[in-house]
This record gives sequence, structure tokens and C-alpha cells, in this order.
Amino acid sequence: MNAFELVRPTRLEEALEVLSEDPETVRPFGGGTALMLLMRSRLLQPRRLVSLDRVSGLDRLDLDGEGNLRVGSMVRLRDLELSATVERFCPAISRALLTLSNVRVRNVATVGGHLAHGDPHMDLPPILLALGASVVAQGPAGPRQIPLDQLYLGYYATSLQPGELITELVIPPLPEGTRGSYLKATALSADDWPMAGVAAFFRLEQGRIVEPRIAVSAATTTPVRLPAVEAALAGEAPSEALFSEAGRLAGRDLHCLSDLRGSAAYKREVVRVYVRRALQQVWAGR
Amino acid sequence: MAERRIAFRLNGREVSCTVRDHETLAAMLRDRFQLYSVRESCAQGLCGCCTVIVDGLAVSGCLYLAPLVDGKSVETVEGLGEEGRLDPVQTAFIEHGAFQCGFCTPGMVLMSHQLLQENPQPDQEAIAHYLSGNLCRCATYPEIVEAVRAAAQGSHVAKEEKSHG
Repeated sequence: MNAFELVRPTRLEEALEVLSEDPETVRPFGGGTALMLLMRSRLLQPRRLVSLDRVSGLDRLDLDGEGNLRVGSMVRLRDLELSATVERFCPAISRALLTLSNVRVRNVATVGGHLAHGDPHMDLPPILLALGASVVAQGPAGPRQIPLDQLYLGYYATSLQPGELITELVIPPLPEGTRGSYLKATALSADDWPMAGVAAFFRLEQGRIVEPRIAVSAATTTPVRLPAVEAALAGEAPSEALFSEAGRLAGRDLHCLSDLRGSAAYKREVVRVYVRRALQQVWAGR
Repeated sequence: MAERRIAFRLNGREVSCTVRDHETLAAMLRDRFQLYSVRESCAQGLCGCCTVIVDGLAVSGCLYLAPLVDGKSVETVEGLGEEGRLDPVQTAFIEHGAFQCGFCTPGMVLMSHQLLQENPQPDQEAIAHYLSGNLCRCATYPEIVEAVRAAAQGSHVAKEEKSHG
């Protein structure tokens, strides 16, 4: 790891000021679990790191007046996992966290870092994308809200501007009766980064599927919603045949990368199966 | 090279030292405090051999910056139990032969200790899940799970005896 200077501001304005010095070599540091890996492999060689651990006001975890779940960017993933508020709001998030890396990483890694990293192999972005979540970013130009489908531009690339920080995650309330599931396939070992992640949500009204939301990650360069699959599910009665067809559509047109976790063709096949299974799980109410 | 003076509680004792800003917690504990139970192996937070407890939470010493423990409480396996008396988890590991080469043992013991703090009566699945980020290349997993169950049982009995006076 290269030598750098660590700065620990206590106010957000102070952090933003230091970050605006030179966004190329001055980087924000949340829990650091991902940054440490990048620095140890010398992919990242910052001059200064701005640790956000002492910045006040980044640790909220509650529902606002409109029923949105609001999560400060310095909330640790383990706090999210163990939160009764999150479990009531969307149990699929709590369940997904159980298989995200390991306890030690979840004790340290932060929600803001998880979202800002832009690594497509993260577990929460596909779920949050399906839920229509957004992030609040603060920077030299002031605060702005970025919907998740506009945050991820490419492999490790986000629409965050130089000097901008994620300060909060905002998840809108799910319509009554909505159930969800997140499934991931790992290729190298059980606790490896996912090679494909699938989030599926829908609710039933008079036996018909309403507001289906399907998102895929890890197999793709960014997490993506699958509108064609959602359209094929909407208004239909759930059945094994319907879910198989949804899986087939999901795998058919998906643009996947070939890498050490599998070929593009293999990932499309895994997505086909996992979309079907995720939908079955939602239907079964698990 | 940026460095700073930090003060923290280490295994119950107030200590201070000078660290480089980019020094890892694992390196500091080994190089400056000779706590060789903190073993860096994978350097990716995956194997658990460098497990350290910071303010009551298990972290990977290889992915944690040393300056960040300023003002905090740090525990390693050397701080478990009391003088001349092992922690119940340590005793259970010995009684069940829950190791072969011993390289992963400090991390396994600390994580098991943490698990029992959070969940005093874990079933086999809960144990396996909590320890899934700790690797034992000798594959003594069955013995480790048995040891943790025994430690849970033991501390359970001890607590009951205590409460019954």
C-alpha cells in the first residue's frame, strides 16, 4: 500500500472542502473494506483519504413522514442487517445481507461505500434498483437526489461528480402486499462475490401479478432492470410455465461479460434459472 | 510520510504508540505490540486469521487502518479469559481438538466468542453461518462447530448455577 495522509473531519462541509482539493488523489473513506483491497493491490494510490467515520449526521436509519426508509451513508451493513425497521420495511433486504461477504466485513462496510463503489458484484444495488430507490449526494454544487437507475454508468463507473459524496439512501415504501426475493449464484466458492444476482418483487391482486420488478446484477456491467420480463409478467396469473418463460426472456437478451466467474453464455443460462427460481420464491411467500 | 500518535485500550490496558497513516491494524498489533496471534493470511478479509475485536465488533485487521482505533478498545485472543484461566471457548477448542496446525485458531476462537456474546445458544446452522468467513485449511470444521456448541452449553450451565446462587 502506498503512503497517504488520513484526514478525519467531524463536519460534512469540512469533508467536502478537503475532497474538492483534488478529487483524483483525495478520496472519501467509509468503512474502507473495498478501498483497502484496491490500495493493497495498488489499483488505487491516493494522496489523502478523508475518513467519514467522525462526520456527524450520516448515521440515520429510520422512516420519514412519507414512509420512505432513509439510511445514512455511514450506517454499517451489519446495522442494516440487524435493524427491526429494515426487517419490517423489506425482509428481502435483511435476508440478502446475511449472505453478503462475512460478519467482519459487514461490521465495517458502510451503505454509502457499498453504493458508491460501482462494483457490479454488490448485493444491494439490484434490490434497491428494483425498489426504485435513490441516493442523496452532496458536493460542491449542493445536494441532489440521484435515482439508482441513473447512478451506475458502467463497470466501477458512477454518475457521482468529482468531489461528490453519497450522504443518504432513500427507499420508497413498497405497495401493501409486495413480496420480494434476492438470489445469487457464486462460482468460485460459496462466499465468493456473486457471478449473477437476481432481485424479484411483485404483489398479487385478484390472482394476477401487479407491479413486477426484476433486476439483475453481477452478470452484467451494471445492475439492470428487465422491463421486457416485467411486461411479460404484469397482469398474468402466476404459474410455473409463466416463470419459466420469464426466465427464458431474461436470459435471452442479456448482455453479459465473460470473466473468471464464467462465460457470457453460462451467465445467461444462470440468470434464466435464477429469475425463474426468484419468482417461484416470491410466489411461495418465502 | 504521515504518521500520528494514537492512544487506545489494548486487551484492557491503556496504550499509546506512533503509527503511519497507512498502517494496517494487523501490522501495528504484530510489529509494535508483538501480538502474533493476529495473522495476516489472505489480506482480503476472507480468511479470518487476522480477526481483531474493535469496540466489541469483530473486524479484519488486514482491512482496517490502525489510526482509526484511536480512542477505541482493541482485543486480541491474548486478552481473552483471565490470568491462568482460559475462556470457555478456548477450553472447548482444546477439549474437542478443534484445530490441527493452529494457524486459524485465534481468529476462530475470537469469532466464536463474539457469536456467543450475540447469540448464547446458537444451533449448528447459526454457528456455521457466523464462522463462514473463517477458513481452516486443515478442515477441522466439525470439531470447531462441536467446540462452539460445547462452549455455549458450558457457559449456559455456569450462568444457571450462578443465578441459582
